[in-house]
Amino acid sequence: MPQDHFLAMVLYAALTAGFFALLWRSGRRERWRYFLFVLITMLAGAIAAGWVMYPLPPHP
Amino acid sequence: MSAAVPAPARGNLFVALLLAWLFPGLGHAYLGKRGTALLYAGIVSAAFFLGLAYHGKLYVREADHPLTILATFACYGAGLLNIGARLLMENTAGNLLSPTFEYGCAFLLTAGMMNLLLMLDAYDIYTGAKG
Repeated sequence: MPQDHFLAMVLYAALTAGFFALLWRSGRRERWRYFLFVLITMLAGAIAAGWVMYPLPPHP
Repeated sequence: MSAAVPAPARGNLFVALLLAWLFPGLGHAYLGKRGTALLYAGIVSAAFFLGLAYHGKLYVREADHPLTILATFACYGAGLLNIGARLLMENTAGNLLSPTFEYGCAFLLTAGMMNLLLMLDAYDIYTGAKG
């Protein structure tokens, strides 16, 4: 298994987005829209959080 | 004129909830939602196996760490996937030194919580609260 943090993050976001799109939306079009919304929000949020934390000192 | 309310599903509620816990999507399949059941099974199983592949930990309760009670509950939410992994794997504590250990734990805990949500969803389908 590749030890790639970005890949793990994308997989996690995709699985979670797919699950909640199926659970909370009905209809193919609505589900795809919600899936993409959650996926992009999670990925953009994680990258934004990474940038915000960048100036903080590293873990000792 | 009243809004259309879905009719309660046939079958036994206890059986539906038990099947939903045993394996992801099985409760939905029992209630006649076979298409979504397959997708749920794929998503939750993928999350669980990725958690193992990323060296995540299958938690057990530790007296010194009360929060492990919640983590253990989440792991056991995955039903037979969790029990099977505990029986078949020699090391269920993951690998703390692995760079992906935290991801692995997140995947495993999320898989269990997803399956618990599927149990609630099966309950809603059975009672007719969800179509």
